[in-house]
Amino acid sequence: MAVIFEAKHIVKKFNGVPALSDGNLLCHSGRITGLLGANGSGKSTISKCITGVYHKNSGTMTYMGREVDFKSPMEAKRAGIAMAFQNLSLLPELTVWQNIVMGFETRKGLFLDDKDAKATAKRILDEFVPEFDYHRTVEELSPSEMQIVEIVKAISQQPKMLILDEPTAALEQSEVKSLFKYMRLLAQRGVGMVFTSHRMWEVMEICDDVIVFKNGQVVGSIDFDKEEKNADTIIQMITGEKKIVSVPRIYKSIPEDYFMKIENLNYNKILHNITMNIKKGEIVGIGGLSGQGQEELLLAIAGNYADIKSDINVNGQKERLNSPNKAIEKGILLIPGDRQRQGLMMDKSIYENVILPKVALKKEPFIIPKKRYMEECIETNQILSINSDSIACFVSGLSGGNAQKVVMGKWLHVDMSLLILSDPAKGVDVGAKKDMYDFVKKLVDERGISVLLYASANEELIDNCDRVLVMHEGRIVGELKGKEITDETLVELSMKGSLTRREARDNV
Amino acid sequence: MNKILNYLKENSKITLCTILIALLFIIGNLITGGNFSSLGSTIKFASFTAIFGLGQMLIICTGGDIDLSVGYCATIVSCITAGMMDGKNNNIWRAIIFAIIVGILVGLINGLLTVYTKLPSLVVTLAMSQILQGLVDVYSAGNSIGGKPSPILSVIAAKNTGVFPNIFFLLIIIIIGVMWLLNKTKISIQLVSCGSNAMAAHLSGIKVKKVRVLSFVACDVIAALMGLLLLGNLGLAFKDMASSYVMPSIAAVVIGGLSIKGGQKNYIGVVLGAIVLQTLTNLFVSLGWGDSGKYLGYGLILLLMLIVYVREKVSR
Amino acid sequence: MYNKKGGFSMPAFFKKTEFITIVIFLIMLSVVAAMQGNFFKLSTLQNTIISWTPLILLTMGQSIVIISGGLDMSSGNALSFMLCILSATMHEENPMSGWIALLLCIIAMIGIGLINGLAVGFFKLPPIIATFATSYMWLGAALFIMPSPGGECVNWMRAFFKFSSVDNMPKMLKYIGGIVPTGVFLIILACLIWYVVSRTKLGRYIYAVGSNRNIAYDNGVKTAKIQIIAYLLNSLFVMFAALFMVGQNQSGSARIGDPLTLKCIASAVVAGVALTGGRGNVFVSIVGAAIISLVSKLIFFSNISSDYQTVVSGLILLIAVASSSIINAVKSAWAKREVYSDE
Repeated sequence: MAVIFEAKHIVKKFNGVPALSDGNLLCHSGRITGLLGANGSGKSTISKCITGVYHKNSGTMTYMGREVDFKSPMEAKRAGIAMAFQNLSLLPELTVWQNIVMGFETRKGLFLDDKDAKATAKRILDEFVPEFDYHRTVEELSPSEMQIVEIVKAISQQPKMLILDEPTAALEQSEVKSLFKYMRLLAQRGVGMVFTSHRMWEVMEICDDVIVFKNGQVVGSIDFDKEEKNADTIIQMITGEKKIVSVPRIYKSIPEDYFMKIENLNYNKILHNITMNIKKGEIVGIGGLSGQGQEELLLAIAGNYADIKSDINVNGQKERLNSPNKAIEKGILLIPGDRQRQGLMMDKSIYENVILPKVALKKEPFIIPKKRYMEECIETNQILSINSDSIACFVSGLSGGNAQKVVMGKWLHVDMSLLILSDPAKGVDVGAKKDMYDFVKKLVDERGISVLLYASANEELIDNCDRVLVMHEGRIVGELKGKEITDETLVELSMKGSLTRREARDNV
Repeated sequence: MNKILNYLKENSKITLCTILIALLFIIGNLITGGNFSSLGSTIKFASFTAIFGLGQMLIICTGGDIDLSVGYCATIVSCITAGMMDGKNNNIWRAIIFAIIVGILVGLINGLLTVYTKLPSLVVTLAMSQILQGLVDVYSAGNSIGGKPSPILSVIAAKNTGVFPNIFFLLIIIIIGVMWLLNKTKISIQLVSCGSNAMAAHLSGIKVKKVRVLSFVACDVIAALMGLLLLGNLGLAFKDMASSYVMPSIAAVVIGGLSIKGGQKNYIGVVLGAIVLQTLTNLFVSLGWGDSGKYLGYGLILLLMLIVYVREKVSR
Repeated sequence: MYNKKGGFSMPAFFKKTEFITIVIFLIMLSVVAAMQGNFFKLSTLQNTIISWTPLILLTMGQSIVIISGGLDMSSGNALSFMLCILSATMHEENPMSGWIALLLCIIAMIGIGLINGLAVGFFKLPPIIATFATSYMWLGAALFIMPSPGGECVNWMRAFFKFSSVDNMPKMLKYIGGIVPTGVFLIILACLIWYVVSRTKLGRYIYAVGSNRNIAYDNGVKTAKIQIIAYLLNSLFVMFAALFMVGQNQSGSARIGDPLTLKCIASAVVAGVALTGGRGNVFVSIVGAAIISLVSKLIFFSNISSDYQTVVSGLILLIAVASSSIINAVKSAWAKREVYSDE
């Protein structure tokens, strides 16, 4: 089979931090190559570098024998490399068929050839999902239908190479089967495909070979024509060498004093039947692959959803947490995941950001007690080791780690019972990360608070949590306690979406 | 000295404004051979604009909104209270209470519609402006509007103490009060957070929607009370008496360097912006360009300032 | 989940906002016709169309701009400006002056469209406040040219109003002019222009940019260019209205256009053009303008004293604009309710 595309030693950095340090990929005509790897391993990054969404820092890419460096996805698509994006590129108010041909509209004379466009849409849809009403506007579609349209859009210009970035995340089982059937059809026609998915069974079923990414590099590849399909081998490649823990963690037992009990919490088709408890003084982690509803669960507990219909039991009392104020009154404080959009006023100073929650509290005085607030702010700076000259510095000038500390610092002087952390270490350097987590643990020891932590990087869960609940597609699919929390078990639970609890592995 | 330099550097737009004002005065005097309008009248009308501008600043700060109904809100209060006061001082409290009630009503309608139905504030307040204009028509029913302001209002609004118009002293009191409120109290951070990052404010416990609606109420109460002062200045009420303050009140905020998207509360900037605008108006008038130059100038300056401000934040 | 193979489904049409707009129009038309006995008489119809023409043209232009994701608060004053240019330049005795006036007006039209379009499309200023600023520029310019109403109109330019008013018109056209005011032809011309545009890439991309400017950009659409063209089309239609009005009144005034701005926005909203962009039908916006115009007629006929008419009209405009928002909110709340059904 001919090689359509080859990427060698692709490097891509963001703000000096490499997301991809050595990316390699080979795509053959008629073959389906799977990309696997944990969150942040680089598998998405390389696809985006190939199609021109990102501009690579270095490395070579060869397409059909010529060296290429696409500046935009449109350029790549015109050349014959198409990508179906995970964050859809569809226009909500336009119809399905209009979206499918967007950017490649054909003309009949002066006018657009709508007949031709609709025929194109129908042609592909008939082979993929028959009976699909392509006259509807995209905003009328369900999430899985939107994903289907995104895929059809990618295929519409008859690409030689097709990259599917997590296409099955939004699809139902039957739709996945249809997709695979269609992919095999495309393979017969000579289209080379690159396929990423978090579901192990999918990768094993549809791919001809698999490339495994870890920490921005390719750590292995398996050719299913030559070798056996073994899930465990792949998982081991993803998790890497068994970690030698220098300081074995001590898991202390926590008394059965519950701060929060959640039973059958549902929200808006995003969260299903969540049942979990949080003890006082416990650090509970939420794991799983990204985008499985973890952030939404944290937001729900923090009172962000005004239309939530489920109650949560806080300190023995049933509460409907449908506003942030209600949660804050109960001492449930949220450090949100996206600090720029949810956590900080970027154009204001550290001081103004830190006193923000205080100003919202009824019990704080009307006239700002500037002296006290400034002292508290300076204290916060010191406790969290925020690296800045003064509290009058603008937050926009701080590094990711320091900015995150400011987000945390807001709550220091507010009554705290449950600290909710939504991926706090994302984009934060190693030093600041350690400071943050040390500080959180200190809070637990000193104040006896509980912590609910979602981290996209498993090691943060392993190092800090007493218990981890793994989520998959809006549900809790497993629980790991104490010594059971290892990279292997986390990855396994995340990947397989298994419903049973794993046996504890031997300690290393 | 260093402190002053630092302040000027940080608030570069205020510096720019001050320089602009000085320049305009110099140019004006040069062109008209010393017949450029007096500082006193400039400050008087700029003060009116600046007080209207306070209201606009509040709603721009909390959500990037603007209020086009301030003109007729003031006018309708003028018209009705003129009869109420009828040239005497004892009814002034009734007039003030009436003004406050009107302001609250108009502000609630504007605010609730803008915040809860997500309609652009410009459209809502434009429609409101027309409704209020119609109400003025109804009230006057084709006749001229009778009544006179209480003498105390005339003293504040129309008269001078030495060189300075009395309204300027009122403005200074307002500035002091506003600066205190917006720097020393809870309100300062609440207002600013809604405009700077409404989501972060919401998650931190600020009741964003409530703050935004109350800002509209404040804006229109201020406008309503201004109706009393304008009546005091002119001595009588008529239909278009406040319309010429609407645009400048918004432009003053932009020229004063505050972001049109919200999150800033520098009232001194607004006052200086108002002075720049008034100086410009005088320039046009002394050049003989009248209304046309004024509007052309306002529009052009507002547009240019918007572009300049956007350039500062490089976007997509 | 999957519907029929993609034919035009009748029930779906009835749910569309445009259908409701047409129904409202027909109802109002019947009410007004009942109130005004001679509504369908030729002379009354002619006068009706004449009085509706400027608003219809402005509404069509405004709809295009709103669909492209913008808004034009300066429509009314742009109309005044172009009207003043025309009437100030022309001298009735000099037919040549008409051509000069026309040329100047075209230059102004391009300038207005470009300035608005660049402000919103290139500099990415918020459309509302940018066009708020430019509306004062046009007003100031109009007052500069014409501080008080006046001006003249050459005879041949009256063709834009009624063919029958022009002296040297061929008999055939004069005859037509006696029956059909030129406003109708101007509207048809505008419809034709939009028809052609909407069937090309430009038209498709106008909807795309209005739907989501960033995503459209990612799809290779040159968003700045599209928005500039949308504003140019708008000022073209406003120019049509100016030509019509100068032919009608043979004079100009700087203040005449302003009240039309709010009305044309309300007309567009009532016709189903979403203020958020990407959605709407320019042809149906004509019906929207007719509805808003009928409202004025209704108020007039319902014997509300003339003093109250402005208030009522303003109230109705407010309700009209607010109601579309409220209806959308109700729709999405209803959609969310269905989601809970499987719990």
